[in-house]
Amino acid sequence: MGRIAVLIWKELIELKEDRDLFGIVILAPILQLFMLGYAATTDVRDVPVVVADADRSVASRALVARFDASPNFTIVDVVTSPNEVDPYLERGRAWIALAIPPGYGEALGRATPQALQVIADGSDANSTNVAIGYATNLIAGYAQALGARLPAGSVTPGIEPRVRVWFNSRLDSRDFMIPGVLALLLLVITTNLSSMGIVREKEVGTLEQLNVTPLRRWELIVGKLLPYALVGMVDVCLVLAVAVLWFQVPLRGSVTLLFALTLVYLMSTLGLGLFVSTISSTQQQAMMTTIFFFLMPMIYLSGFIFPIENMPAVIQPLTYLLPLRYYLVILRSIFLKGVGLETLWPDALALAAWGIAILSLAVARSTKRAA
Amino acid sequence: MSAISVHDLTRRFGDFVAVDRLTFEVREGEIFGFLGSNGAGKSTAIRMMCGLLKPSGGTAKVGGIDVGRDPEGVKRRIGYMSQRFSLYERLTVDQNIRFFAGIYGLRRDRLEARRRFVLEMSGLQSREHVRAADLAGGWRQRLGLGCAILHEPPIVFLDEPTGGVDPVSRREFWRLIDGLSARGVTVLVTTHYLDEAEHCHRVAIIHGGRLAALGTTAELKRAFHGRTIIEVHAGRPVEAMRLLDDMPDVERTSVFGTAVHAVVSMKPGEAARTIRERLEGGGVAVTRLGPVEPSLEDVFLDVAERG
Amino acid sequence: MRKTLAVARKELRQIVRDRRTLVILLVLPVFFLLLYGYALNWDIRHVRIAVDDRDHSAESRSLVSAFVNSGYFDLVAAADDRTIRALLDRSEVRAILIIPSGLGRAVRTARPIAVQVLLNGDNANTATTVMSYALTIVRSESARYQPTAAQPLVSVEPRIWYNPELRSTLFLVPGLIAYITMITAVVSTALSIVREKERGTMEQVRMAPIDAGPFVVGKTIPYFAISLVSALGIVIAAMALFGMPMRGSWLVLLLALSLFLIGALGIGLFISSVADTQQVAFQAAMLASFLPTFMLSGFIFPISSMPPFLQVVTYAVPARYFLRALRAIVLKGTGIETVWPDLAALVGFALAVLTLAAVRLRRQWR
Repeated sequence: MGRIAVLIWKELIELKEDRDLFGIVILAPILQLFMLGYAATTDVRDVPVVVADADRSVASRALVARFDASPNFTIVDVVTSPNEVDPYLERGRAWIALAIPPGYGEALGRATPQALQVIADGSDANSTNVAIGYATNLIAGYAQALGARLPAGSVTPGIEPRVRVWFNSRLDSRDFMIPGVLALLLLVITTNLSSMGIVREKEVGTLEQLNVTPLRRWELIVGKLLPYALVGMVDVCLVLAVAVLWFQVPLRGSVTLLFALTLVYLMSTLGLGLFVSTISSTQQQAMMTTIFFFLMPMIYLSGFIFPIENMPAVIQPLTYLLPLRYYLVILRSIFLKGVGLETLWPDALALAAWGIAILSLAVARSTKRAA
Repeated sequence: MSAISVHDLTRRFGDFVAVDRLTFEVREGEIFGFLGSNGAGKSTAIRMMCGLLKPSGGTAKVGGIDVGRDPEGVKRRIGYMSQRFSLYERLTVDQNIRFFAGIYGLRRDRLEARRRFVLEMSGLQSREHVRAADLAGGWRQRLGLGCAILHEPPIVFLDEPTGGVDPVSRREFWRLIDGLSARGVTVLVTTHYLDEAEHCHRVAIIHGGRLAALGTTAELKRAFHGRTIIEVHAGRPVEAMRLLDDMPDVERTSVFGTAVHAVVSMKPGEAARTIRERLEGGGVAVTRLGPVEPSLEDVFLDVAERG
Repeated sequence: MRKTLAVARKELRQIVRDRRTLVILLVLPVFFLLLYGYALNWDIRHVRIAVDDRDHSAESRSLVSAFVNSGYFDLVAAADDRTIRALLDRSEVRAILIIPSGLGRAVRTARPIAVQVLLNGDNANTATTVMSYALTIVRSESARYQPTAAQPLVSVEPRIWYNPELRSTLFLVPGLIAYITMITAVVSTALSIVREKERGTMEQVRMAPIDAGPFVVGKTIPYFAISLVSALGIVIAAMALFGMPMRGSWLVLLLALSLFLIGALGIGLFISSVADTQQVAFQAAMLASFLPTFMLSGFIFPISSMPPFLQVVTYAVPARYFLRALRAIVLKGTGIETVWPDLAALVGFALAVLTLAAVRLRRQWR
């Protein structure tokens, strides 16, 4: 067998023999995607509401019934006075409180406009926004229905907004998140494999043994990284299957392109792991460095969840350094937009450049002879 | 021509000089020993000669190739085995052999022939499919040596190859080294076991990174010319040592097992008499006392002390 | 007791020797809080929008101005039929406003007319908000031309507690604290035991007459001390630099933090006791903490919206309890009488995990 072939053969045997590692890198991603796919939903459902109904009229009860009937809300309790809602919000038993003032029903009968207080738990700003939005919507729709029944004067028609959502008409955050989770899983697994795997040989002493042979530096690197790339591609297939077949995430673009660009992405992640291995002497160091200097920043700053365009102007240029950023755009575009290389070429190019750069750096640093 | 030729080889780590101007030559087929305590610089020297570490100064020619300038050039022609035996734990005996054979580019017939040779040499013929992790120390050691010489290198470097292995296996291992040497292979082996050093053709004592002494064991022992080593078996060895240390003619005392060795700058007869007088005068009961031939350990301590 | 301390001392020595790891455990968490706290928010502004104005009337221009002046949108391009697709494909804009020709005339003659808003749905989170912005703007612009429009009979007057400006930072920072603390803790102990297993020094430990229980506790102590210092550092930094309020009791906060840390360290130890190689321990630690803490703790996605089976899984995520307690203590100012269920859960979790680790180790040592 050629030298690289025998290296790959050895690496694969070692992986197969380590049952635990094999299970974790091949099977765990499926499990993770499954769980996280279900977690990723900003569709807020069953918002717990506590109602302070000081009116207790037919009209107020009708409004409460509206809330109850909505899938967005769950009535936790109905109290009388607004003062009684405090403990519910404090304990987190309710996210919002609806305060119906006394005289509500009567005012409604006289067609007098009134405002209802919606008290919200702002400690969870994201959900609060959404909950208030739902409440507003519900009440607006209710108001409109009420208005239609009144013998009102002519209402001047105005400008009506018609919204069409492109790419994700259900505005399903799952379709947005799942490609993201795929990208992140791939990053975590392959970077770990390559950084720890090489440092391990350093620690055990087999790396020295290899350095004493005529094995060339690049042969060693290719022989080490190729099996990991293989593992990565297997993971992609498995996770893709779950995403598309189970979660029904639309895959509108070219699968071939997806695989091709994933290979380019793997070049970056594996190169990153290799680089970390050249600056670490123990596996502990490799792990710490990988997680804190690379993985954590990527999960936050790459656009995985937090939009880059929201970040302060100083930070945004930094995100250009993250390969995950480009891969996320590529993945999401291929999944949701179905576009091809003609649109994605800038990101693909950036990804390739990053990969080549980090690999070169890592190769330069991994000399056979210590200086 | 020398198989290994080292001249003023030096290695510095910051301010610390680990190897200080080593100079020596090793003949073809010779078993050359590096003797020294831990941290003396033996491993550092070997790693430089193997092209694993860049020398700070001096030259090392291995197989005629200047390793400092062309580290890769030697790698086809040397074998190396480190303290940790460097085997792949999860691979079987056979897989380890095939792996290293593949790295050295052995194919088909040659691969098969060498594979069989190594299995026989290490006595692992019936255990080809045992994982390396499941082998006991002595077996791993022999397998490690086997994997290091698969490609039949003319020069072999062994860095503390017998660390942590039982005496019987160690003896077995040295038989294999003898076998290599008989076939004309040059072996440079580091050790801190003195009995193993006696087994070498020549020994270089490394102390503090410097070459403290070099020669056959006989030559090294001649350093004691004019001095005598008296071995004392006494009831209270510590007391004995204290008394002897006070004597002007006693250069040095050391513990040898349960006995005490005293290096005395006198002729044997006179030395024995003086020692006995002093001890019995000091109230220490002596069981046995007499001059002994200097061992390599005595040589080593002597060198270390003077260094 | 003495043996436990001996184990603790030895572990501390090992930690201190690895300078890089020590720096990472002590300094980086605060640095990351600063970085992410500064960088991340959901307050959506500067939304890039393109306009295809086919009317070019005073009314259409007024509508466009309404978008620009709202403070939420940045008009970045003029669109037309040919460029719409490209603008959205390349995500150069988040929305496109298409004003049909005839808008001005329709408004002036009091006839209904519709404008199109194309939303870029590739980021569902942002799209929802952008949509509500756009709808509000169009509707209020429309209302200007409807002087006799009936006011809605019922409208909503929102009142926000604890976080009146709905600053997402105040929401994110506690989450960041929980996340960074969790990862640091799990990762620091995940290799501690398995490292010795791999190196073979575990044999020496087994020879020593110490039981698995005290051993596990001894291993936890130095990491606990370091993590606590680090976590307190983060909390103080959050207060000083991000204005995170402290409306509750410091004592209760300290208690919650300590219990959380012990549980997190325990997870790492358990992984360390089960794994045979450091590589496996690393992957397992990531599997158990990196993504799950991010996504299942209620940090980003509300747990109550998750399917029931997943909600059950979140009971095993200690960050879930800690985050709720932290937010309650810090933002709501509630005391122990309110947060005790979460604290109790943290205690239970810590005990469970440490016991599992000890049991596992004892079985291996036999």
